[in-house]
Amino acid sequence: MTGRFYKALGVVLVLYSLIYGLLTTVPDLPIIEQSIRNLFYHVSMWFAMVAMMAGSFGNAIGFLRSENLQKDTRSLSLAETGMLFAFLGLFTGMMWAKFTWGAWWTNDPKLNGSAITILIYLAYFVLRNGIEEPRKKARISAVYNIFAFVMMIVFIGVLPRMTDSLHPGNGGNPGFNSYDLDNRLRLVFYPAVIGWILIGTWIAALRYRIKNLSK
Amino acid sequence: MSKIGPLIQRYAKQELRNSNAIFSLGLYLIGITYLIYLLGGQNAADSTWNTLLWIVIFFGAINQASRSFEFESGDYFFYYQTVAGPKETIIAKLIYNSLYMLLLSGVAWALFTLFYGNSVYNPVVFALGLALGCIGFSAILTLANGIAERSGGNATLSSILAIPLTIPVLKIVSAINIQAIVGAPLEEVYEMIGSLFALDLAIGLLAYLLFPYLWQD
Repeated sequence: MTGRFYKALGVVLVLYSLIYGLLTTVPDLPIIEQSIRNLFYHVSMWFAMVAMMAGSFGNAIGFLRSENLQKDTRSLSLAETGMLFAFLGLFTGMMWAKFTWGAWWTNDPKLNGSAITILIYLAYFVLRNGIEEPRKKARISAVYNIFAFVMMIVFIGVLPRMTDSLHPGNGGNPGFNSYDLDNRLRLVFYPAVIGWILIGTWIAALRYRIKNLSK
Repeated sequence: MSKIGPLIQRYAKQELRNSNAIFSLGLYLIGITYLIYLLGGQNAADSTWNTLLWIVIFFGAINQASRSFEFESGDYFFYYQTVAGPKETIIAKLIYNSLYMLLLSGVAWALFTLFYGNSVYNPVVFALGLALGCIGFSAILTLANGIAERSGGNATLSSILAIPLTIPVLKIVSAINIQAIVGAPLEEVYEMIGSLFALDLAIGLLAYLLFPYLWQD
């Protein structure tokens, strides 16, 4: 019952943010203009990714504590889903960057952080493929997963705050506060984040079940 | 905990006996520094000087760390397991590798000063940044190498695992070093040194907590 409820809620919230995100009135700001609507689609991807990776991290700790291989499968499924959101966030961000900053890619701490995050988790998948024995694979990759997650938080959460960034809200660019506080945007943005996290959980749960069936 | 000293001594002895490795590392440092000199490195601007120094240290460290668990592979692994527990092993490894890397980066800095002149105005801040950077760097490399070693001993894998993880440390260190080169006093870089220290502490603690799960079969 709860399973159906969260899936339905996820679908409703995502549909609401997709449709209402295009219909709602937005603040009229120079340069950004109508592309500010990408806030609902781009930023929510990163929130969903961090949530998936946090779930993967939690399950990795759970595996080391209990040696339960199911937790390892869960950890892998969540990391794969997080990777999907990372790529989606990257592509939607590149679109936005092209139309507001004039380039697909800039040397910005947040962009570097996300690129390196992707490299870290690709290394995690490479590591998993290299080990045959399931228990050893689970243990070693859980160790790397925990280490990688903490470093990822340092990358995307701590480092960008120390340097200037084109992104709003960091360094010498505090512009985001003016529209972050805009309640019309919040009304779509927060449901979008929650909706995508729920959809991500659903995707991860499906991957987990497929993995268990194919064993 | 009393085993840490003897373990470090043992690692150092192994390294000295295997003098081929030390000579090749020294030759690499001299060769690459001289190569940069020939290609015009003596005219490098401050930020380029700093970047070149860190690239030299980076590859030296990767090379050194890839042999970090060389003597613990195969049957020797079981021998070392009976000699010391995982917590003692990782502390000894972290201390030993940090010292090794401090030596390596000190030699690289000396060689750079010899060939291109010293462009650092505030050597105290520079040395502090270099030392803290080396500690964090070697801790990441040690854990990554431990993971690679336990998963089948593939040297490429250890680089793949370690390189993206080392970037936050490298970013902070190079920011501190640039400040030191232009002569900023200690008070101005206090915050960055503090955050680097905190990062080192976090990395070391994670390595200490996670290593016991690797060090079993």
